[in-house]
Formats: sequence, C-alpha cells, structure tokens
Amino acid sequence: MEEEVTPVHRPMTRRRTLPSRVTVAAFLAVLGPGVITGFAGNEAGGVTTYTSVGAEFGYAMLWLLLVASTGLAIVQEMCVRMGVTTGQGLSDLIREKFGVRWTMVAMLTLLVANGSNVVAEYAGIAASLELLGIPRIVSVPIAGVLIWSLVVFFSYRIVERTLFILVLVFIAYPISAVILKPQWSAVLGGFVPSVPQGDLALVFALALVGTTITPYLLFYIQASVVDKGVDRESFRYARMDVYLGAAIAGIFAFFIIVVAGTVLFPAGIHVDTADAAAQALVPLAGVSAGLLFGMGLCGASLLGAVVMPLSTSYAICEAFGWESGISKNFREAPVFMSLFTLLLVLGGVIVLIPGISLVPLIIAAQIANGLLLPVILVFIMKLANDREIMGADVNGRAGRILGWSVAAGAGALSVAYIVVSFGGIGS
Amino acid sequence: MSTLRAMPYLSEIQHRRIVDHGGALVGKLVDVAVIPKEQFPAVQWAVVGGPDGERTLRWSDLEASGRQYRLIEGGGGAAELPPEALRLARDLLDKQIVDTHGAKVVRVNDLQLEDTGGQLRLVGADVGLRGLLRRVGGEQVAERAAGIVGRKLPRGIIPWHLVEPLEAAQAKVRLTVPHQKLALLHPADIADIVEEMSADERRAVFEQLDVETAAETLGEIEPEMQVSIFDDLDEERAADILDEMDPDEAVDLLQDLSAERREELIELMEQEEGDDVAELLAYPEDSAGGIMTTDFVALPRELTAGQAIERLRELQPDPSAAYYLYVVDAEGRLDGNVSLRDLVVARPETALAEIMNPNVLRVEADTDKEEVAALIAKYDLLALPIVDARRVLLGTVTVDDVVELMLPRGWKKRSLRSIAR
Repeated sequence: MEEEVTPVHRPMTRRRTLPSRVTVAAFLAVLGPGVITGFAGNEAGGVTTYTSVGAEFGYAMLWLLLVASTGLAIVQEMCVRMGVTTGQGLSDLIREKFGVRWTMVAMLTLLVANGSNVVAEYAGIAASLELLGIPRIVSVPIAGVLIWSLVVFFSYRIVERTLFILVLVFIAYPISAVILKPQWSAVLGGFVPSVPQGDLALVFALALVGTTITPYLLFYIQASVVDKGVDRESFRYARMDVYLGAAIAGIFAFFIIVVAGTVLFPAGIHVDTADAAAQALVPLAGVSAGLLFGMGLCGASLLGAVVMPLSTSYAICEAFGWESGISKNFREAPVFMSLFTLLLVLGGVIVLIPGISLVPLIIAAQIANGLLLPVILVFIMKLANDREIMGADVNGRAGRILGWSVAAGAGALSVAYIVVSFGGIGS
Repeated sequence: MSTLRAMPYLSEIQHRRIVDHGGALVGKLVDVAVIPKEQFPAVQWAVVGGPDGERTLRWSDLEASGRQYRLIEGGGGAAELPPEALRLARDLLDKQIVDTHGAKVVRVNDLQLEDTGGQLRLVGADVGLRGLLRRVGGEQVAERAAGIVGRKLPRGIIPWHLVEPLEAAQAKVRLTVPHQKLALLHPADIADIVEEMSADERRAVFEQLDVETAAETLGEIEPEMQVSIFDDLDEERAADILDEMDPDEAVDLLQDLSAERREELIELMEQEEGDDVAELLAYPEDSAGGIMTTDFVALPRELTAGQAIERLRELQPDPSAAYYLYVVDAEGRLDGNVSLRDLVVARPETALAEIMNPNVLRVEADTDKEEVAALIAKYDLLALPIVDARRVLLGTVTVDDVVELMLPRGWKKRSLRSIAR
C-alpha cells in the first residue's frame, strides 16, 4: 500500500540525520503496515469468526488464539526479514528458488485462499447492509462497481484511510468488555489449553487459525517491506511493527471473543446471521448495536475487497513475469486485468447464489484459508532456512523450531479436519 | 526424436545424462555457463551433478549422442568457472531481466540456445507462455489444443543482445558493465523499467547511471518513488542529480522530503542551482509559483533582434525554455514576448520593443495551478509567464508541467505495487 508516501517512511530517514528524535521516530515508524493490518487485517472474516468462536465455546478457545497470534508474529517476522535481506517479495522468491512447477502450486494455493477471501468480503458487505435493510441483490452489484472505481480512480492511500475510520468502530468491543464486567478468572481459564466438546470444535479451531494467520497477510507484509526498501537500520522498526501488529490483532480478537463469550454464549445464541453477531454489542449500544456492528463490518469488508483482488493479481503476475499494473488496459496487461476482474465478478456472483447463507460462507472462507495455510508456511520455512538466500539472516535454531512448530500445528489441524470431514469420523 | 536440433532450450538439455567415452554414467547436466561478453555468448562449461556433488567440465569435451552427452576421448579433465562466468540455470532461469527493446522488466521462463557450427550459443530469453508450458512439460499439449481452435501459441523470445540481467541484492555474479544497455534507453523508458524494480535494484541503477541520465529519468518517475529513491542515495550523489534536474522538478521532489534532508541537500547543491531551488521552494506546492521553472530566457527590451540572437547563442537554452522569449525592462518587469520565428525573420537592427507582442497573458505566482492549466489549455499556449505583484518576471510554467493536470484522473500512473506480491 503506497507506504512510501505515508508519514511512516520519513521519520525513518529523519532518524539518520537527527538521532535525538529516535523515540518519536520509533513511535511513528512502528505505525507501519503490520499495525494497520493488525487493526484492519481481520476484515469480514476475523470479526465473524471470533464472534462465532465466542458464541459457541465461550472463553474456551482463547488459548488457541494466543497460540495463533504468536504464530502470526513468528512467521511475519520471517517474511519481513526475507524482504529486507533479499529485496524481493514472497512470490519472487518462490519462483526463483523452486522453479515453475512449485510456483504454480503456491500461486494456485494463494489464488484459492484469496479468492475465498474475496467471497467472504462480499458476504460481509452484503450481511452488514442487510442489517440496514438493503437486500444483497442491490448491495452486492453496487459494491462491485464501487470497489472497481475506488481501485481505478482513487489513490489507494485515501481509500485505505477512509475505510480505516469505519473499522475503528470495532473499538466498541474492548469498551463492551470493560462495561460487561465478565468474570475475569473465567476468562483467564480460557488460556488453559483444552479441547472443547462438540463436532464444531475442529471446524472453528481451523477457521480461527485461518483467519488469524491469513496466507494473504504474509505475502502482503513482505511486499510492503520490499516496496518501502526498508534497510538494515530501520529493520528493527519493521520488526517491532509486525510484533505490535500481531499483538494488536490478537488483543482485538481477544476482546471480540470475550464479549461474544459473555453475551452470546450463556444465551445460547448461534451466530448464523449478522444480526445474531451484532447482538454481542447490545449491552453497549442497545438498539444501535446493529448499526454499529454493520458499520464496522462494512468498512472492514470493503477494505478487504479493495485490497484482495489487486494483491492476488499482482502476486501471481509477478511470479510468472506477466505485465501488471492498474493503469494498464486489457491489451497491455491481459492476465492481470482478467484476474482482477474475474475475482471481483466471481466473488459477487457467488454471494448472489439464491438462498446462500452469508455468515456460514464467511466462516467457510476462513476454513479454506486455514486448510491452505500449511502449504504457504512450508514455502516460507524452506526459504527462511536457506542460507544461500538469507545469508547471515538465516533462521537460527530457535527460529527453525518455532517456525516448523507453527507449520506442523497448522498442518495437523488441516489434516485432522480433512480426515474428520471426509472420513466421517466424529459425527 | 530430434537430438541435434539446431535450437535447443536450456530446459530441454538440462537433466540429460552425461556418459564417459566407454558409456558409463558420469552424472546429469545441471547447468551450463557462458562468459557474457559477446553478443551471443558461447557455452563454455557444463556443470555436472553426480553422486558426489557438482563438478565442472569443459563444454568442448562433450559431444551430443542421442539424448545424452558423451565425453570425448581423453576429455573430462576438471575445469574451473571463472568468477565472471554466468551460470544460465542458477543465475538467469526464473530471474527477472530487463527487456531493453520493450523497455520492461520480465521473467525468464527458459533460455534459447543455438548450435552454430558446432558451437552452442546463448541466443535469447524465452519470457512467453510457451516457455512456462515447456517447463511443466505441457508445451506440446497446449500447442495441439491451440491448434484445434485454430490459434497458434505466441512465441515470447527476446534476443540476447537486447537483454539486460538485473543486479539483485545478493547477486552471485557482479555484472562487468552493469546497466550499460539500460543507459542507452530514453529516460522515460528507463523510468518505466525502474518503477518495476525492487528498491535495491533501483538504488543500484541510480548509483550507476550518469548524472544527467539519472536526473532526466528521475523527472519521469512518480513522486512517491522519487522520494524513496532519494532517501537511499548518498547526499553527494543526490545533490549532483538535483543540480542536473529542471528546477521545478527538483523543487517538486524536495518538497516531499523531510525538512532536514531538504536543507542538507540544497546546501550541497551548486550555488546557482541551489539558490533557484530555494527561491522556488518558498511558493505553495499547488500555486503557479510552486510548479514554475526559473529556466527561461529574458531579453532586455533595448536589444536589437541581432543582439538577441547573439545572446541566445551564448545562453544555449533548453528547448522547453525557448518556446517563448520574454522581453523585460531594466527592472525585470515583463513587457512582452517574442517568438524565435519573429526574431529570425526580423531585420537584425530592429529593436525588440518593436517586434515583441506587448499583450502577453501572465499570472501572478499565487494563482492556483489548476487555473494555470486551464489557461494554457484554453489559449493553446506552450508556456505561461509568472510574475509578482509588480509584474517582475519570476518564471514560467510550460505545457509539460501541467499536462498531468489536464488528463482525466484515472490516467495518472499510480504506484500500487505494494498491494502487490
């Protein structure tokens, strides 16, 4: 996201010339892409998934959130390190290291994961506007055209900032958590690893991991580092940025789960509609809960829907060396424009399938992300462990162990899910 | 099977078996290496992978035999790759290169070799769909499929002499004459290429281009990227480039830098250029003063046409500064303008005041830049003089400075690369 022009970049250079401003600069510098995605990166999928998890299992899955957020921090740091060391994006590195065949595997994975995210963003837009009484047959086509024109006619930076303000509505969750006065001892108990009862536990565990460590985020964070040309000096700020971003994402998710676990779980409300999800905010906002939740969900979904098709098309075209760029037309950049348009159109069409339920659709997209995550993690680990690529910045022993543990955990969860759903065990 | 086809691809000969003269397996062909000096460099070495690692052989020690290569009698002595050698698979395949003909950055899907008179040479880089399909073994299938619908798969091969490898951050090969071909391109084309590069590659290019080309190229690059390039350059180099840039472009760039860095750089610039720039910086970015250039030709009204032409010979102004020549009085106040044509066709002893056009459209420095653009468009001007409240000529805004404001919004190039990848 055009980070070069945000205030983020300049303080870093200022630091070189004026060492006395280190603290100010450091503070501003950490407001980088990691923090922004920490706030907004959860998009439609995050809010919905965390609300559902809280509603179904109360506080019981908080420990998994802690594990997933830690995993996010570990893997994102590797991506930032790779970006700084090699000056190349993740899809570049995959192509240059693994050749054409493996690149196809990785890019197909990314395409499916991000494609399902596009569907989820549309579903988020449709669900939030249905709260306000606008039917999806109206809202989805309008959203499609709106997104397309936002991307083509406006500076990405302006779009990002505007939608970001909407997303800030989610600050309602931490406030609610304080007002609700949940039993904090019970909340703490959620951090003790336990496997909740019920068939849905595995499904939601996978969705939780998939929405917290989205494959898209990993590509995005490395790309933004490469684009900014973060050098060795500012590396520690970039690293702080991803740690802080992961922490913020985790804290927000924590409050959403706590609020849903306090309001919805005891009442036995299942989150199968946006309206049900919005009920979590009723103690804070009363009758305006729907409006509040709808605004946040709509902003987050729009933001995601603007970024996702673009990001995907860029990543894929870059890996295969196809012309890309939004200011080009179909003749100049055929694959790029086709991919971008296809994602935007197909995502909308799927949401408009008559009778499809939006919230389960959003959760399904997170499951897809969770299932595909291990594939991307293996690529990342192979690259970050490669001394030829990383030089002195290659993963150390601790990095290797932690990274492979994250990959193994995500892999085990995916395999378990596949075995259970297709093997018919557990039902 | 055509074994001695004149034009094999690297992906086709890679992994072929290498046998010794007696027919025993030596290993598999992993890579071939060239010295990238000639126009179409000859393959001189083969890197062979065996059970105990890689070893290098001389290419001339091998002969093609069926779908494998056989060592000639007495051949197979160990060879060593010189440091400047380029290993095609390791250093080029799947990497990005610059297509200097199409002026863009592309990725190498395969490399085309040609057997000319027993010598295998690198002749081109395959950057097309065919190369990709060949790598996954699907070229023939796709070709047949395309044939059924009556189409042909396009070839995307760039001749090697039009290719320039990129210098990556941790390149294993240092190019002997880096970016030589790049420097021959038009600055606008270089700018297009540079915008597709990563930050490290960009820095490498700007450190190596000559100052003049670097300045012109920078002028063509979008503002956000200018800033990030400038932040990476060392101060001396940055100041040298600023000296070469048009003052108005230098100012646009400086306005986007931090105040400290800006002052530092102006300090390092040549006295004259630095003063010009400092003066222009005083105007708001969106005003006529903010976009004008101080590169213009002002001629005292007492001069004759002949003297004026003589003065022009001395000044040797840039083409864009000579669209109109301005006539000023002793205090520098704008009295009129005169075109080169008027000057040339007038008798040499005619006074400028007689041939000038005294009704010159002009605006003050605080005019909004959109309004300046509108005036230039409405009256089909090539340049518009900017004056202060006392009518003293301060600078001009030329049509190329406002072209961007006249384009519809979507046309403006924007960087969205980081949403990328």
